[in-house]
Formats: sequence, C-alpha cells, structure tokens
Amino acid sequence: MESKRSKYIMIGLSVFCVILIAVTSFKDGFLDPLRTGIGYFLIPVQSGVNRAGFTIYNNIENYGSFKEALAENEELRVRVNELVEENSRLQSNQLELQRLRALYELDQEYLQYEKIGARVIAKDSGDWFQVFRIDKGSADGIRVDANVMADGGLIGIVTDVGANYATVRSIIDDVSRVSGMAQQSGDHCIVSGDLTLFSEGRLRISNISRDGDIKDGDRIVTSNISSKYLPGILIGYATDITTDTTRLTKSGYLIPVADFNNLQEVLVIMELKEDYLQETDE
Amino acid sequence: MKRLILNLLLVLLAFTVQNGVFPLLPFLAATPNLLLILTFSFGFIYGREAGMWYGLLAGILLDLFYSGPFGFYTLLFINIGFFNGIFTRYYYEDYITLPLILSFVNELVYNLYIYVFRFLIRNRLDILYYTREIIIPETICTIVTTLLIYRFFLFTNRRLEEMENRRN
Repeated sequence: MESKRSKYIMIGLSVFCVILIAVTSFKDGFLDPLRTGIGYFLIPVQSGVNRAGFTIYNNIENYGSFKEALAENEELRVRVNELVEENSRLQSNQLELQRLRALYELDQEYLQYEKIGARVIAKDSGDWFQVFRIDKGSADGIRVDANVMADGGLIGIVTDVGANYATVRSIIDDVSRVSGMAQQSGDHCIVSGDLTLFSEGRLRISNISRDGDIKDGDRIVTSNISSKYLPGILIGYATDITTDTTRLTKSGYLIPVADFNNLQEVLVIMELKEDYLQETDE
Repeated sequence: MKRLILNLLLVLLAFTVQNGVFPLLPFLAATPNLLLILTFSFGFIYGREAGMWYGLLAGILLDLFYSGPFGFYTLLFINIGFFNGIFTRYYYEDYITLPLILSFVNELVYNLYIYVFRFLIRNRLDILYYTREIIIPETICTIVTTLLIYRFFLFTNRRLEEMENRRN
C-alpha cells in the first residue's frame, strides 16, 4: 500500500516539476518572492561558510606566499619606476586627446560608471555552468542586467537579484554572447563563451565582417550597439583571427583580461544600458 | 526526529560547502557532487519515499541558486531519490560495492541529463570532449567522496539508532 502511495506522489511531483519548468522557461518573475525569502535565510549561512573556508585557505596560503611576496616586492619597485615614467607620457597624450576631442566636438564616449564592490560567496560546483553569486542585492541598488567587472575587464552580467544577493552569469559561460567591437577600428563582432575553449582560457570571436579590420592583439571592448552591455568596457585581446570557409566573415579567439579562476571580489556597475540609452535619447 | 533534523542540516551543509567553498579553491580540478551523494544515500538507506522527499529538498535548493527554469534540478533529484530507494531491499550496513555502483550510475545520469537538456539542444555535439573534461573527473571525484561520506553517514546513523533504542 505504502509503495503505491509513494509511486503516485512521485508521479505527481514529477509532473508538477515538468509544468513548472515549462512555465518558468517563459516567465521567470513570479518565483522571485520565494527566492528572496529563502535568500534571507540562506545567504548568511552561505557567506558564513564561505568566509570560514576562505580564512583557513588564505592563512595557509599567506604563510607559503610570504617569501614570494618579498621577491615580488623587489620586482614591483622596478615596475613602479617604469610606470611613473609611462604615466607622465600618457598624461601628455591625454591632454593631446582632450584637445583633439574638443576640436572634433566629440562627447566623451567612455563614461566613468558608478560601481559598487561585492564579494563572490558561491559558485556553481560542477564545471557545466559558469554562474556565481555575490553578497549584494537589490537592497544595495543592484538590478538585473547590471554589468559586472573585475581586474579592469568585463566579467559578466546579473541575471537574477534578491534582496541581499545577486546571481551573475560569466561571459565564459556556454550560453553567454556579448556584442563587442575592436577599440581601434570600431568593427563589430560577437564574443561568445564556449565550454570547450574554457580550459584554454579563451572565448570565441565571430561575425566579423570580411572587410573588418580586427587583427591579432587588438583590444576588444563592449560595443555601443549592445542592448545589455555598456559601451567601452574592455573584454580582452583578439588572437588567431582567420577568414571563415564561407569567405563572408572572419572569426577567431579572445583572451580575456579578467582572471576567472580566482574571483573573490567584483565590481558591479550601477548604471544599466537602458538608462544610458534613455539619457542619450533625451 | 533527531535523525531527521541531523539529515536536514546535512543537506544544507552539503549545499553550502558545495557551492560556497569547493569552487573557490583553485587547486581542485573537479569537485564532488555532495548533494547527489546525500540524496541517493537517503534513498538507498531509508527507502523510496524518504529518498524522494530529501531529493525534493536538495533539488529546490539547487533550483533556487540558478536563474534558469525552475524545477530542472528538482525533477532529477526526486527521481534519483526514488529510484535509488528501490535498491533499499539489498541494503546491508557493511556492503559498500552496491553504493559505489549506484554512485557511478547516478553521476552519469546527472551529467547526461545536464548535457542533453542544456547543451545538446543548443547543438553542442562534442560529447567526447565534455565526457573527457567534465564527466569523468567529476565522476571519479564523487565516487571517492562517496566512500568517505557513506561510511560517516552509516556511523552517525547507527549511533543515533543506539541512542534511540536506549531511551526506549
């Protein structure tokens, strides 16, 4: 008798899940209160466990890396000197650029976006998906589709927000597609994540027009025609660009500037592309 | 009652460790799927219905974590809990071979489920690559962890049972 009952419950639950999958595939929003509610309880636990794990790990590592740090300090001193020199050179370039911009009456294209820092507290455990969770949410002003950066490069986009957490999909995730452009020539391309390239630390670049001028080593930034990504955020550098067999487009690979293996803190840009578009309309 | 609370805590702990600690340690090439191990152990030890309910809990936790279609993991986990529960009649405390085989099969089912419904339907056909780079490392890692966790699990269970018997 008991076995029959459990069989029926089982079938009932399975059918319910299938319906839920079908419904949420089209409309995701109505479960948000549930997610947020459970988030209130679960996020403190997650960040607690995360912090404890990290403290132990960092202590062990700190001890080991102290000697390395001393050697690195020496190197960095030399590097600082080089950079000071380079900086002064760049400053004079910047002045020249400002003059030229004024001359062409161009608006300053790459705005300084307002950002907020957040800690990565959880990540997908398997290797199938590149999704992680941060400890700031709608209470801190983060919204869905906010762009996320680290190490000066694009990391991903917020796909889901609760009161005290947000879920971020990395640009290296298999379903991620970012509209990019070469900073120098302004030619557009699509930067897509691919699980088979992930272990080599690469992404795929495609849809460069045949006459497009993107060469190996070019800086690829988010494009101004993207609907979700703000323009001018550095993604990485192009490499191995070849003409496709169709002869109509070119494609290649991209090496991202951000280090995806060791993400601990990220910056979330508060402004959305939507706001940006509205501003320019006005 | 005590056992139920302990088991619920174990599921929560497994979830947080699996998502909050393992993936952030860069030296781990693959991570064991703790929730999968727990779900099938519950099914195997307590029977179909219990396995199903614990699977429901584990699945909902995972679904809440992702922003994809809700129910994707829940569907898989209640089925894993239920079908491993069928083997409960072969359950002996010191018999480790069957749990290991079950762990292997479950891990394969879990990964193929993700591959077929999240990758194959988007025309990603390179299954050999995914098998080599993702499925095999994770499976090995999970089986080794099963050895440890399943033992620990049996041990605590036996202890709690003894305590309950003594009280009666």
